[in-house]
Amino acid sequence: MMKDVIVIGGGAGGLAAAIEIHQAGKDVLLIEREEFLGGILNQCIHNGFGLEVFKEEYTGPEYANQFIDVFLQEKIDYLLDTTVIGLKKEGHIFTVETSNESQGIEFYQTQTVVVSTGSYERTRGQISIPGDRPYGVITAGSAQRYLNTDGLLVGKKVFILGSGDIGLIMARRMKLEGAEVLGVAEIMPHSNGLNRNIVQCLNDFDIPLYLSHTVTEIIADDHQRLSKIKVSKVDESFRVIKGSEKVFEVDTLLLSIGLIPDVTILDDLGVEIDKRTKSVKVNQAYETNIEGLFVCGNALQVHDLVDNVTLESKRAGQAVVRYLNKDKVKENHTLSLNPGTNLAYITPQRLDMGLEQENISLSFRSRKKMEKAVCKIYQNSQLIFEKKLFFVLPAEMETIQLPFKTIQDQGDLKVELEVKS
Amino acid sequence: MKKEFICIVCPRGCRISVDDDLNISGNQCPRGKTYVENEMKSPTRILTTTVKTIFEYTPRLSCKTDKPIPKELLFKAMEVINDVVIEEEINIGDIIIMNILDTGANVIATKPSRKKE
Amino acid sequence: MYDFIIIGAGVIGSSVARELSKYQAKTLCLEKENDVANVQSLANSAIIHAGHNPEPGSLKAILSIRGNLLYDDWEKDLHIPLLRTGAFVVAHNKEEESKLEDILETSRKNKVPNYEILSGDQARKIEPNLAKSITKVLSLPSTKVTYPWEVAFACMENAIDNGVEFQKNKLVTNISVIDGGFEIEVNHKEKYRTKNVINAAGVDSSNLGAFIEEPPFQIKPRKGEYFVLDKRVEGFMKHVIYPLPSDKGKGVLITPQVHGNILLGPSSEYIDDLHKAKTTDEGLAYIKKHSTALAENIPFHMIIRSFAGIRSTSTYDDFYIKESSENKGFYYLGGIESPGLTAAPAIGPYLVNEVIKVKNNYHPKADFNPYRSQRLEFHRLPWQEKKKLLDEDPLYGRIICKCEKITEKEIIDAIHGPLGSHSIKGIKKRVRAGAGLCQGGYCEEKIMKIIARELDISPLDLEYDDLKSKLFKEETKVKK
Repeated sequence: MMKDVIVIGGGAGGLAAAIEIHQAGKDVLLIEREEFLGGILNQCIHNGFGLEVFKEEYTGPEYANQFIDVFLQEKIDYLLDTTVIGLKKEGHIFTVETSNESQGIEFYQTQTVVVSTGSYERTRGQISIPGDRPYGVITAGSAQRYLNTDGLLVGKKVFILGSGDIGLIMARRMKLEGAEVLGVAEIMPHSNGLNRNIVQCLNDFDIPLYLSHTVTEIIADDHQRLSKIKVSKVDESFRVIKGSEKVFEVDTLLLSIGLIPDVTILDDLGVEIDKRTKSVKVNQAYETNIEGLFVCGNALQVHDLVDNVTLESKRAGQAVVRYLNKDKVKENHTLSLNPGTNLAYITPQRLDMGLEQENISLSFRSRKKMEKAVCKIYQNSQLIFEKKLFFVLPAEMETIQLPFKTIQDQGDLKVELEVKS
Repeated sequence: MKKEFICIVCPRGCRISVDDDLNISGNQCPRGKTYVENEMKSPTRILTTTVKTIFEYTPRLSCKTDKPIPKELLFKAMEVINDVVIEEEINIGDIIIMNILDTGANVIATKPSRKKE
Repeated sequence: MYDFIIIGAGVIGSSVARELSKYQAKTLCLEKENDVANVQSLANSAIIHAGHNPEPGSLKAILSIRGNLLYDDWEKDLHIPLLRTGAFVVAHNKEEESKLEDILETSRKNKVPNYEILSGDQARKIEPNLAKSITKVLSLPSTKVTYPWEVAFACMENAIDNGVEFQKNKLVTNISVIDGGFEIEVNHKEKYRTKNVINAAGVDSSNLGAFIEEPPFQIKPRKGEYFVLDKRVEGFMKHVIYPLPSDKGKGVLITPQVHGNILLGPSSEYIDDLHKAKTTDEGLAYIKKHSTALAENIPFHMIIRSFAGIRSTSTYDDFYIKESSENKGFYYLGGIESPGLTAAPAIGPYLVNEVIKVKNNYHPKADFNPYRSQRLEFHRLPWQEKKKLLDEDPLYGRIICKCEKITEKEIIDAIHGPLGSHSIKGIKKRVRAGAGLCQGGYCEEKIMKIIARELDISPLDLEYDDLKSKLFKEETKVKK
């Protein structure tokens, strides 16, 4: 069976893209590996979702349900509890190999693929925290799933490494469910989470936040359960300050040390990778260097707010429709879009000059906290666009609209953050 | 003496200050002003948590108070919610507990107790 | 009364168990851990060395050369995975080149097959990522890599199949000499009597001996720290790369693994605690520094895990495989550090046939079954076989571990069976669920539900590793 579009992933990104594409009259199949739609939103039971998209504040499951309802009403084809185990392209046709219990292994053919597979959590192994290897060192998202969907508490005396929002939210959740939360350590001199979460998740519950601190050793009891951690202060270059060590007796260390886009599904396709985002490079239509392959949501770049995932995925959906309608002056002429020194990354990484549109959404993160920041875009050493941003933080992704008509036909672009003089 | 608040109404997290004459500044929207006024009088929070069910597929169902409740009642409210077991299929928005602790807020489901699709 | 009680079910104890299962003897193997291969065999380089290192004439030399060859039989009979990598020992300058000559000489004396010297450039043609500073290489084509956990599983499963009893979670708390043998006390209560004791307790081997006599050696444990690179680096290095050995052992290596991962390490350091090997900042930095001398552009960003393994180095400078001189019937397998894994297939037969001389007292079993069926790796099967299996059981279609593509049926099979495991770590060791990029972040919740369902137990009773390592502290919203 030949589909117009296969959307891989049924979380916020996949649902928004699938609805957008289906509403334009295209034939869509969405594949979700979990037994339910909505992805990670299902376990994010806290509120704060939807202010941008719905001008109303929802919890994660409520936000997901807004889209699930529409998705189901649209009668879009979907598979649950189904894992994509292969993705190949021959000629202009993609073959998606799926595996599930009811059908076994199946092959679906499609003209385009939208990958919205979300992100995975960085683990202890990736940051090499030294010490023993007990149980009880667990990513915050895993603990969240155990707690919020299974009703299982992974620990009673908890410390949290990393002040990302998931860690902060889990500090409050564990506390409300009867655990003792001894503190949160953040290696940076500032929090990585939203200010409101510092207030309502830590301050409200008298949970201390240790900035410029990190976990320097993990100590097990005799039964491979975490018993203690050592937490030390770090200097400006993140070197541990000797003698600053504190010992906390805990049974659980939650890790909230970052998310990484999960694009392992694209391993065999030879997709161009951006080391900065740890994901693929795309053009302004969210299309990779493989024609017809689109990536959006946290699979493309880690977002702080689900609203931004929705908006981005809608744009990706519109781009897919445009692609299927062959609404493109195909001249294969692309410019590259490069981050300046104060930017951690930028998406898209390429501009396809054959794809005219009114505005191009550029998303990026700053490397450092900057007040009175101005985003300046240069082409051929000339300033072509600037926008005041006031206050930028590494923890908050910025999105600006670059008018297409300001871009000259030739010459790569550089995006920089500068302080307004 | 100036008092500083971080607004929690939305993810923007405005830094709002209040001076001795109770002039409020730094808020980017009127909700920030209301928040600070409340925060000085009697701080309230929306409680989001889960409730036990008899359903294998959703052993815990997410829920919330439909209005903010006094901050000091959060743990008390948890105790009340922890005593409830959902035994019938319910939908998103359905009331689980009416007027919890006489706060005027209801605890409502934020997820349907959907069976395996 | 047992004829033999083996204490310890690492690769060595398991190899002995299998060898003894060929005879009409009543044999029991006791393991203190909740699984086989859980201490020294758990965390090592997984290399089957060519035999270029040990002192010619030593037991280490003789048994590792024999063991290396016997792995080919084990691959056929027991379905132990082998990756025939070959190895390069590398030199960076004239001084190191002359040391390479010494190793060449050792290799010649130990009858290592097909070794040869290559120039740095010749070696880089084969391994383009080798460090540019390498000037000369000793190539050792007989070097292989295996999967140590599977070695222990295979031997023990085959031994059980041939009548050996295996009991886990049995810590030996005393041994006393009785008339005609020994009495072994376990977990401070149960007692077992046996004519012979085989002490394969690794780091605990001298302490076990001390229950009945002054042990002939002391264990001075060393630890080695490692980095694991994700399997997506497969092909970065196809050979095992050794630096020149120093007084700290074989040095930091680059070792491709059978499932595509690459190991960097080990560091090497003596430690005080027999049972605890932890990673340290210094150790991990040491590995990074020294591995950089072996290869260009090592993909450190693909590190998914670090771990520390323990080595039961002894005060005796060779393997100590002997009967006690004071207490007949008490056999030591002591100081089995590297190349212990290499020698494992030879150690069982050596002990049983040449030290104990079991043949003198026990008849061989006519119905000994040397074969053990292969552990199925569904995602590696050809399409037709997959199709057939899916018809038999649709749970082969349900992927639980996305990173390693492990199906629900494979996990269920790992839970059950004579050597099944009920712990998260045990399942990981058997089928690699959780061994990938996300380190169980996605699949652990699903695995724990499958175990709870299969055993019909509460999630609160689930273990990470040993019986007391419960995954969860409590269920929420339940009256206590």
